[in-house]
Amino acid sequence: MDPTIVINERVDVITVFYGNAPERTICIPKRMKYRNQEIEFTMFAMRHPTAKGKRMIHVFDVSDGANDYRLEFDAEGLTWVLVSMIGNQ
Amino acid sequence: MYGLNKEPALIMHIDLNSAFATTEQQAHPSLRGKPIGVTNRISKECCIIAASYEAKYLGVKVGMRRSEAMAICPKLTLLETDPPKYNAVYQKLIKIMQSYSPKIKMKSIDEGIIDFHGMEKLLNGKTLEDIGYEIKQRVKDEIGDWMRINVGIGTNRFLAKQAAGWHKPDGLDKIDHTNLLDYYKAVKLTDLNGIAERNEARLNAYGIMTPLDFIKADEFKLKKQVFKGITGTYWHQRLRGFEIDDYATNLGMVGRQWVVKDPSSKDSYLLPCLSYLCETTGMKLRFREAEARGICVWLSYQTGEFWQAKRMHKTTYYTNQEVYRRTLELFKQRPSGIVKTIGIYCYQLCPSKRSQISLFEDIEKQDWLTRAVDEINDFYGTFTIYSATSLEGKKIIKQKIPFGGTEYFDLLLKSG
Repeated sequence: MDPTIVINERVDVITVFYGNAPERTICIPKRMKYRNQEIEFTMFAMRHPTAKGKRMIHVFDVSDGANDYRLEFDAEGLTWVLVSMIGNQ
Repeated sequence: MYGLNKEPALIMHIDLNSAFATTEQQAHPSLRGKPIGVTNRISKECCIIAASYEAKYLGVKVGMRRSEAMAICPKLTLLETDPPKYNAVYQKLIKIMQSYSPKIKMKSIDEGIIDFHGMEKLLNGKTLEDIGYEIKQRVKDEIGDWMRINVGIGTNRFLAKQAAGWHKPDGLDKIDHTNLLDYYKAVKLTDLNGIAERNEARLNAYGIMTPLDFIKADEFKLKKQVFKGITGTYWHQRLRGFEIDDYATNLGMVGRQWVVKDPSSKDSYLLPCLSYLCETTGMKLRFREAEARGICVWLSYQTGEFWQAKRMHKTTYYTNQEVYRRTLELFKQRPSGIVKTIGIYCYQLCPSKRSQISLFEDIEKQDWLTRAVDEINDFYGTFTIYSATSLEGKKIIKQKIPFGGTEYFDLLLKSG
């Protein structure tokens, strides 16, 4: 069944924007603070843009080796939201 | 002896393996190597629209109901479709393909053609196989390391597609006059793209039991007896590697169909849904910059019966209100019964004449209203403003990801 756990909460994220990297890996979230817990991302899976009206949202799929996280970066509001996660089954 | 096309194979077919499922595995590392299925909306009896190779090995097939799939593979993970994610993969694939030739054509969201005719000098001595392997690597580097593609090379679109499906997953094959007959020896009639059970039965009836028999059949037999028309000549050419599928199709109709979530006979349930379907049809019409004169409504009933009504109008239309008004006129004539599927489509299309000034104020007002609503929806997202009659319908009908063409993908993403 669908293992996705919906969270939809604002989170703190440390991100690296690379000056000289291929388009796919030009911006990579490295660490996230969620409910006072620090999570280090060890794998960058995918990034894709999507529009909500005229707002541009960048969706990042990352993993800490145990769980997969879907983070959304609102390029207008400059906010990070942890949308959902999938626990390793 | 068969009159095969001996030109160099310069058509490349690229096919993303289990596109949606592989993309989900790319996005979710914890699901890699596991059986997963993708469905439009998870419900009790939803349908699997894509399955990962791990699921396919266990027997899960595209089109299976959830219960059937779970019976075969109880550990199957089901995910809902995520159109923006697939669009990102689609756009990146287009970008890679366009870097090799300006002549590319996407056949659907997960497959496309690169035509290398006229590009031979720019290949710098590389063969199409070299380029195929290069594209495979670029897909991994630029889209994701879990992504895999099949590459097929042929003298025409048909053979290139056949080659792409020869060794799945992650295959690369070339079919030309040197190995065409060997290929036909290795496959069944139904392995040929365009030959399903009915065409197989038709061929069998004339003693054509294998692809080799098929290519041995002369044009006269195929045209006059088997297919009873020009299709026979097309097959005769296609099988030999001659290009006959490179043509542009005209827009013939625009519409929408929906399998009723809870089959019903009640207007109170069906009309809001119908109104919503008309809204999306009107949007599609304007997206294609077309106007229509004809309207058709068709219904299938729980009893298995089918009903349809068509009407050709003197004037063209393109607004959501007009689509709904004209559809409703026909819908009200339907026989009573529990409706299982609703379909509407507009036909007799012509290019939009909206830039012309109308003599009639009413038409102008409708156009202004439609323009204003479209502008607002374009800015704030589709369905920010929509007709009150569609209110309940929008809650019930979920937007699905298209299987076939990609003409409405941008429109779908706006409403996503």
